[in-house]
Amino acid sequence: MSDRFDSLFGQTLAILFALGLGALVILTVDESPARVFVTLLNGAFGSPERIAGTLLQTTPILICGIAACISFRGGLFNIGIEGQLFMGGFAATLVGFSFNLPPVLHLALAMAAAIVAGMAWIAIPAFFRARYKTNEVVSTILANYVAILLTSYLTINWFKRPGGQSETPPILESAYLPELFSFSRLNWGLIIGLVLALAVHFFFTRTARGYAVSEMGANPKFAEYGGINIGKLTFLVLIASGAVGGLAGGVEALGVHHRFMEGFAPGFGFDGVIAALLANGHPIGTIFTALFFGALRSGSLLLEVDTTASREIITVIQALIILAVSAQITIRRKASDSTAGERRWKF
Amino acid sequence: MEVLERLLNVTLVIATIRTTAPILLVALGGSFTTKAGIFNIGLEGQMLVGAFFAVIGTIASGSPWIGVLCGVAAALTLALIFALLVVTFKANEVVVGLALNILAGGMTVSLMKAIFGTRGSIFGHGLVGLPPLKLPNVKDLGWFGQMISGYTPLVYLAFILVPVLILFYNRARLGLYIRVVGEKPEAAEALGISITRIRYTASLLCGLLAGLAGAHLSLGYTTMFTENMSSGRGFMAVAILIFSNGDPLKILLGCLLFGFSDALSLRLQTLGISSYLVLAVPYLVALIALFALSYRSRPRVIQETLASMGRALSVKSNTIKPRTATDASKP
Repeated sequence: MSDRFDSLFGQTLAILFALGLGALVILTVDESPARVFVTLLNGAFGSPERIAGTLLQTTPILICGIAACISFRGGLFNIGIEGQLFMGGFAATLVGFSFNLPPVLHLALAMAAAIVAGMAWIAIPAFFRARYKTNEVVSTILANYVAILLTSYLTINWFKRPGGQSETPPILESAYLPELFSFSRLNWGLIIGLVLALAVHFFFTRTARGYAVSEMGANPKFAEYGGINIGKLTFLVLIASGAVGGLAGGVEALGVHHRFMEGFAPGFGFDGVIAALLANGHPIGTIFTALFFGALRSGSLLLEVDTTASREIITVIQALIILAVSAQITIRRKASDSTAGERRWKF
Repeated sequence: MEVLERLLNVTLVIATIRTTAPILLVALGGSFTTKAGIFNIGLEGQMLVGAFFAVIGTIASGSPWIGVLCGVAAALTLALIFALLVVTFKANEVVVGLALNILAGGMTVSLMKAIFGTRGSIFGHGLVGLPPLKLPNVKDLGWFGQMISGYTPLVYLAFILVPVLILFYNRARLGLYIRVVGEKPEAAEALGISITRIRYTASLLCGLLAGLAGAHLSLGYTTMFTENMSSGRGFMAVAILIFSNGDPLKILLGCLLFGFSDALSLRLQTLGISSYLVLAVPYLVALIALFALSYRSRPRVIQETLASMGRALSVKSNTIKPRTATDASKP
């Protein structure tokens, strides 16, 4: 318990340190740090609409974060969540506008399509990681670029809305993910994300298979001696992670945009990865870090209006936070240091 | 046939050399960290800040060479932070590398907006690129002369560095130390080599070349800076480093493959193929190469694993760690 308190204390200290550094960065771009932070807060939580806006931004970050958590737990790095999100969003949209089905069924089918697309997009990197130990960090990153270009190509060359710019036709209302309040586009995606976080937490702490995944992440050699089929489990963990990444795209398409377009969901996948890193791969912790990053994103919209700072300043703050806590992030795999075995790992 | 002729000619070779140079520079930089046993995913970010500060330095001073220095200094700063966190604080190298990439992306755009009030790209403002080098007496060599003359200086540097690095890793003391630290850290320790110092040196050398690669991107390859202009070249370099194991000659071959696919894809665009598909070609080539070569290296990995397990069992010493299947996954 005191160990956990220590790490929480260190984490908080590191975040404060990063915010201090962030303030310095803001000074270098000729803005007042206090004004930027107040504007961020006001933009994120200043009114019910803004709070809903923050939660709207939190939703995809949370779901992507859970996708990242799943892979981190297994000692794997799925950095391709952005790509899985794009593929999932595109697949859900495709089902959403090309079929005419009864409401609930249509939504379920579109969601399933998103999940399958996410799984399909990670299948090849996952297979090669499981079978031949091909570095999944690089393969999933490269796959992101392909996914973004491929979905743009399909949208513009095959499925463009007549008369529209680079976007598909809108999906039918029967596939909409219902909104929670009348004043915001905030939708059931948030609930899905929260339930998913709890379910994944339960899976890792209460089931044998979840324990096996954690075991593999903590010490693959030991896990193998314990009779766990590392190759198979590696493949399954990455596929599950990709499925959740695809789901994030489906939620974004069916809940928010109701269509697919170029630049569909910029950076949510990466924000999810860093939210999960900051939470040290803990699904419940990811709820809070996703909310934090969602608030930063949402606040940054007002930042562009009210100050001269650009919204990318929040990306800088996010990166500084991760750097500040990086020494405490205890994901085991160190890709090439043979002395890494002694490093502590605690999920 | 006519299509083939339009695609393949001397200008394609020239285009290949042009597109190869930036990725070759950054990949050669990464060879230092790869050889020292560090997985450096942060090449992308180092290249990006290199490109950005090269432009800033050039605009501020009027000289592209001062710009190159500024770009290198910025990349070195990032490399120093990387080394500090990874080597000294033993942070996870993937986490630190990714965070530095994100930092580089956010910082360059923020500063671009703060300094120039624009988002997207910087050009004009008195920005001058590096002058192309005309080699003397190349007129007599005909098409060959055409092929080897007229590039900006950093292109020549990139290709000259390949033999230099081969010598460095095989002959120079520092090069050998770097290899020992990467391959057998226990042995390095036994020899009294400071692993920390070697890894810092390797990281900084990597930052130096990544900075030059970035400077070349914004002052040689083009004369402008655009948001995220490294566009995944750093990641492709990492892919090349994985299957080349950091060997300069294999890096050159890998980079030529990318340069060629890049140059060819630019040609394909003129044939009316969608630019989105064409732009995806280099990434696809990287992925296919990565998968194909990891499949090919499989028997070697298994053999190495068996051999090292045998060694570990016969030595029965707890100072030498057995290298098992998990270690074989290292790039």
